[in-house]
Amino acid sequence: MNHLSEEQLIDHYYGKAESSAAASKHLQACDDCARSYASLASDLGAIKPPSVPERSAAYGEEVWQAIRGTLPVYEPVKAKSHWNWLVLKPWSLAAAATACLLIAAAFFAGRQWEHRNSSIATHAVNADAGKQRVVLVVLGDHLDRSERLLVGLEHAEPSTEASLQAEARDILSANRLYRASLNQTDDPVLAAALDHLERVLVEVSNQPAGLSQTKLVELQKEMNTDGLLFEVRILRSRVQEDVDRNNAVAAKKGVSIL
Amino acid sequence: MEVNDHVIVRKVLDGDKEAYGTLVARHSPTVFRVAFRITGDEADADEVVQEAFLRGYQRLQTFESRSEFRTWIYRIAVNCALNMTSKRKVEATYQIGEETDPVTQQVQVADHAAGPERTLLSREIQSLQTAALGTLTPTERTAFLLRHMEDRSTAEIASVLEIAPNAAKQAVFRAVQKLRRSLAPLRVNP
Repeated sequence: MNHLSEEQLIDHYYGKAESSAAASKHLQACDDCARSYASLASDLGAIKPPSVPERSAAYGEEVWQAIRGTLPVYEPVKAKSHWNWLVLKPWSLAAAATACLLIAAAFFAGRQWEHRNSSIATHAVNADAGKQRVVLVVLGDHLDRSERLLVGLEHAEPSTEASLQAEARDILSANRLYRASLNQTDDPVLAAALDHLERVLVEVSNQPAGLSQTKLVELQKEMNTDGLLFEVRILRSRVQEDVDRNNAVAAKKGVSIL
Repeated sequence: MEVNDHVIVRKVLDGDKEAYGTLVARHSPTVFRVAFRITGDEADADEVVQEAFLRGYQRLQTFESRSEFRTWIYRIAVNCALNMTSKRKVEATYQIGEETDPVTQQVQVADHAAGPERTLLSREIQSLQTAALGTLTPTERTAFLLRHMEDRSTAEIASVLEIAPNAAKQAVFRAVQKLRRSLAPLRVNP
């Protein structure tokens, strides 16, 4: 049988609930532990609490009066309630209404601004696209006329030389405009072709004695009109593809070509 | 009808300083009692009571409503009393004038008759007990006083001294062992 330790006896003396029942049972059965416990109880029982001096009924009030002069007053702290936001004072209500109004105005203005910018951008894109389509169509016509002129020069006959020269002057003035416009764009191939075409047209237009067969042969050799005709045909087909593509896109967007 | 401590604390924090007077009046006797048992001096105990309620007021915003004000101010008072004993070095006052020889000066307490001799004997026993308590560390002495005289549980002692429950239990155990050794001369031999 294991005897109770001094610590267990002390626990039992002070009535620790979990060990009290078992200790009581053991003390009834074990004389040694019972003697030890009796000795402990005697020693602890002899230690009496010192008698506490009496205090008058007004003791608490005396303590309070002794310290109250040194105590500051707490600032009232408003309890934070979850429903406080529902109780608005007039000024806060006005502030809230103003804030709501500003938010609504900002939202409306934002929508208007977005709508307007979007319209302007759409109109700008549509205008640019329309302008590009006009240029391509006109340029296509110009290249078509130039091609016919160059073909006419290839097969010129004395009876048609005068009309070819007149046509060349007419095309030349238009070609100057297109070339000047294309110099500002990023299409060097087309610009170079129109430049070449202009030099040919100038030579054809400015023959004071009119176009002779000999002069035409010289022009074909010097100015490489065959090569120019090939370039113009390629450019015309490319421009035609661009026109067709733009027309298809415009048809999808529901925008008329011209 | 007595107003709840928590209600009074709320009023004080809302700016009603005078309400604190109710709490002081209500708990001063308890605070004085424990202060006296720890300090062993009436004047020091009075000073501890005032200091405890002063500190309590200053820290009132940290008081949590889930705890009891009585327990809270009690803990503050114990700490103030411990500080006071350290400051006063009350151990010196516990020294008795005559040395007790364990062999020759065993005190025999077998007389049931009241009289001047018995009164003198009781006073000597009290002095020996006070001297024995003086040999304990502040934690051991306070733990023992709270357990033996204030009838506080181990958990309460641990809370007041801000130590683990097992440490509080061990403090009481060590205190009892030391006191029994110191008070052995008082035992009546069978």
